[in-house]
Amino acid sequence: MVTKRSVSLADEVARAVEAAAREDGVSFSAWLSTAAERQLRIRQGLRGVAQWEAEAGALTAEEIAAGEALLARLLSGVTGMASRVRRR
Amino acid sequence: MAARARAGLVYGVGALRAAARGDRVVWALHRAALAEGIVPVVPAPVVFEGFRTEARADRLQALLAGTEVEALTAEGARRAGDLAARADTADLAAVAVAEAADRRNGAVVGSRQNALRTAAVLLGHELVLHAV
Repeated sequence: MVTKRSVSLADEVARAVEAAAREDGVSFSAWLSTAAERQLRIRQGLRGVAQWEAEAGALTAEEIAAGEALLARLLSGVTGMASRVRRR
Repeated sequence: MAARARAGLVYGVGALRAAARGDRVVWALHRAALAEGIVPVVPAPVVFEGFRTEARADRLQALLAGTEVEALTAEGARRAGDLAARADTADLAAVAVAEAADRRNGAVVGSRQNALRTAAVLLGHELVLHAV
């Protein structure tokens, strides 16, 4: 089911969304809907982390920094020799 | 050869198990991904296996709230089945993770498994793995 809503966007945002939707081969509405869905999922996910922290104790600044560093390393494609499986 | 940058994360059963036992590194990584606007991907067979083997369904649910569970389509099932046959394994979750990592250019958070390694090699995919 689809609900119609009238939304206002800044001109430059609307132009960027139009271009991105064209590039992705989807409609303006579908692109916005996917972006909103993604944001909602991130919000729910951070609530899930907070739920776990409420039980297990909040992540420390050091743990958060270590998580960010690990993410950066994984996205760079490098995980270190111990955990990287090379193609034969 | 220079490392190829990855577009996101794919969680295997090992990531779900680690979250269920309260592995703080995995939760910190998950938090970092979400804060960066990255929604980790979890193939449906991984969810199946996670709930089959883990008692802490509440923790799995909390983790999965911030993920995209990738449904298994008919075409995806065919690809995974074919790959599992070539990898000579019945571990569909591991095969689905390798296939998703290849298709979506993702780094994997999971266990160090032979099935995962073999499937990645068969796909010609260089696996970037954070082993938990």
